[in-house]
Amino acid sequence: MSGILVRNAFVIDPIKRISGEVMDIAIRDGWVVEDAGPDPVVIDASGCLTLPGGIDSHTHVCGTKVNFGRYMSPEDMRAGRTARRGVMHVTSGYSVPTTFGNSYRYSAMGYTTLLEGAMAPLEARHTHEEFTATPHQDMLANTLFDGNWSVMEAVRDRDIKRVAAIVAWTLSAVKGFAIKLTNPGGTEAWGWGQDVRGIHDQVPHFGVTPAEIISAMIEANEILRLPHSVHLHCNNLGVPGNYRTTLATIDLVPDLNPLRQSLYLTHAQFHAYGGSTWRDIDSRAEAICQAVNGKPIVMDMGQVMFGRTTTMTADGPMEWKLYMLHHNKWSNHDVELETGSGIIPVYYSRKSLVNCVMWAIGLELALLTNDPWQCLLSTDNPNGAPFVKYPEIIALLMSRRYREQEGTLLDPRTSHRTAIFSIDRELSWEEIAVMTRAGQAKALGITGLGKGHLGVGAAADLAIYPLDPDGIDPAVQVQEVIAGFSRTKYTIKRGRVVARDGEVIVEGANATIWSRSDVPSQYDMGQDPAFTEKFSQYYTVRMKNYPVQEAYLPRGVCIRTEAAL
Amino acid sequence: MRVTLVARPRAKPSLPVEAESIIPQNFLRGTDLTVYEGNKERRLEELFFITVEGPAVSPDQVEVVLMGATGRVKRVGEYMNAGRIVIEGDIGMHCGNFMSGGEIVIKSNADAWLGREMRGGRITCMGSTSHNCGAGYRGEKRGMRGGTIEIFGGAGDFAGEYLAGGEVRIHGSCGDMAGIEMRGGLLVIGGTVTRPCGNMTAGTAVVLGHVNRMLPTFQYQGVNDEVWDGKRLKMDVWEGDVANRGKGRLLVAVGK
Ligand SMILES: [Zn+2]
Repeated sequence: MSGILVRNAFVIDPIKRISGEVMDIAIRDGWVVEDAGPDPVVIDASGCLTLPGGIDSHTHVCGTKVNFGRYMSPEDMRAGRTARRGVMHVTSGYSVPTTFGNSYRYSAMGYTTLLEGAMAPLEARHTHEEFTATPHQDMLANTLFDGNWSVMEAVRDRDIKRVAAIVAWTLSAVKGFAIKLTNPGGTEAWGWGQDVRGIHDQVPHFGVTPAEIISAMIEANEILRLPHSVHLHCNNLGVPGNYRTTLATIDLVPDLNPLRQSLYLTHAQFHAYGGSTWRDIDSRAEAICQAVNGKPIVMDMGQVMFGRTTTMTADGPMEWKLYMLHHNKWSNHDVELETGSGIIPVYYSRKSLVNCVMWAIGLELALLTNDPWQCLLSTDNPNGAPFVKYPEIIALLMSRRYREQEGTLLDPRTSHRTAIFSIDRELSWEEIAVMTRAGQAKALGITGLGKGHLGVGAAADLAIYPLDPDGIDPAVQVQEVIAGFSRTKYTIKRGRVVARDGEVIVEGANATIWSRSDVPSQYDMGQDPAFTEKFSQYYTVRMKNYPVQEAYLPRGVCIRTEAAL
Repeated sequence: MRVTLVARPRAKPSLPVEAESIIPQNFLRGTDLTVYEGNKERRLEELFFITVEGPAVSPDQVEVVLMGATGRVKRVGEYMNAGRIVIEGDIGMHCGNFMSGGEIVIKSNADAWLGREMRGGRITCMGSTSHNCGAGYRGEKRGMRGGTIEIFGGAGDFAGEYLAGGEVRIHGSCGDMAGIEMRGGLLVIGGTVTRPCGNMTAGTAVVLGHVNRMLPTFQYQGVNDEVWDGKRLKMDVWEGDVANRGKGRLLVAVGK
């Protein structure tokens, strides 16, 4: 394979501290190199913003829950259809597209790496099958431990080493990447028709609290030396007044890792509500940002954008509350000894004050967090909006004028309930680069795999946008910014041009990145009598059939660590 | 302007034809339209003998007449907003999808999904129609929202499913579950119907004939004197579907 030489690119690479240098990038055999070798393919990127490939550190694109969203919403499948074209398969769907639809649309926007936000361990096999059908992005899976019986029992017994051992066994069995806690304890309580209403509530039958689960998991995560931190969806999602729960959770977090955060707070927008009911809900983004500034915490926005979408989460009780609001079709699902889930289609309306407040909070979080490395861009796709709205969000963050224009269409009370229209800050190209790739790579701990930067030795994942930062004023030229981030001129994935002007031009071949922490044999849960007994007693699956075979990961990349046990 | 489309004999007459391009407004720019026959794109004149008589400057001056074997021609009149379509024979599924204005007259029978999610205008079918007349398509929460559909024969199952506005008048009998999930509008059935109006939340359904297997989740409100189709009738009035906290009205002629 001949090399590629990207010429005269306007490069922003925050990890390598390059902020707007016109330079050439040489690519060979999938990596960024010093010299592209003889007769490279030359790509003229003059006047084009060139960034490392986009990384989404929290999205829902694969797995049983997403698939359930697809088949309960045939109207959504009709809402976004494209015909077969060249190497591109037929796609359909808008908020929950087919796997190829997700992959092509992300690729058109320059995204080359995606983290599936919630994989139930028991249903991992299907998630990995869908990963291989999302061929233009490298995939990682957050693995759900929020209602794991064995984990909760070990937490109750204050046996952190056992917690770590259970996590190690499970991650390596299901080829997961990181620990995900979704409403820890709450989904298990929901199995009994209850929920937890704060981090110090007891989980029925287990004698543990969400706070104990979160603290134990943060500790276990560092014992296992996992690349990413614990990835937390806080308790009380979407409940007015829930900012107190979020602040109390932030207070739990110790600083345990010099390389990255000790806790990742996902879709923070849904956790920053004041008030006591839907009638008096207001924004507490400022309080959340103040608590996060300077702490070993990274969050993502969970921005809401107006229009139709589908919500899906492992947080079963939350989806039931949404159903009680909308009376629309819904689903709820219990995953044996592990977790649960729910799905419901929603419409975010500019006429709804609550929805306007949600829209404002996401933007406030991004604009009030001093350090862009601590607040990453996301919509919790598709919960806040489908990911195809990212370019509009970027434009909102870069232009105060655009925010004000949008404001004129909203419920006028939005300006009393939130501070969004009094914020002057307009993010720079560099800050956007942090919030869409560099920050994600650092937070996920995958810069060592060459992700999120373009230095020599980096994975040759590039997004070349038809945007000239020297010629465009993003504060004014909003439509140009949106159009530019919607379609790259070239998306390069592992050294191959995969998309050009929004069209995917090659068959993809992605990798799945997973974590494996090696533990001493006395901590091998596969040999543990109590743990194996649980399988034979309660699971519908035998323990030996539970692990996902490596055949399901045609190009698995394993991050191996040595546990400190 | 009058556009006459006479179906040519086809090698595989059972292959469906996707003909959403057959709407009056399109013929203002000529007859150079395409349709799909199965998965092959065809020019309109490959499937129809086309004659055009007279001029037109706006779609309401266009009348399209379809003749011959059109029972497998689907989506005729989809998104039409003015003008007239006359179908001399049978018509395929999804005739008048989303139409917002103008008129469709079908001289014989119509297949399923006639006038699905229609917003305005008028559809008259002299024969019978199949399932889901005036309904919302799979997953949709609202069906027809405005306009009128009149069927002189009968209808299949799920007539007026998710009906949210406008009128569906069926002179003959319906199959199972007419008016289920109704959100509004008026559904009038001249003949017999089975298990009507489950989960309805609003709107009015009128049955001038007999109801088989009335659902138990409707609350009886008493007898009213009503005038329907010029006839004075005593009608039982029901409200429901109470299982769904619905406030729809179901009127059934007494003694039928
Ligand atoms: Zn999520």
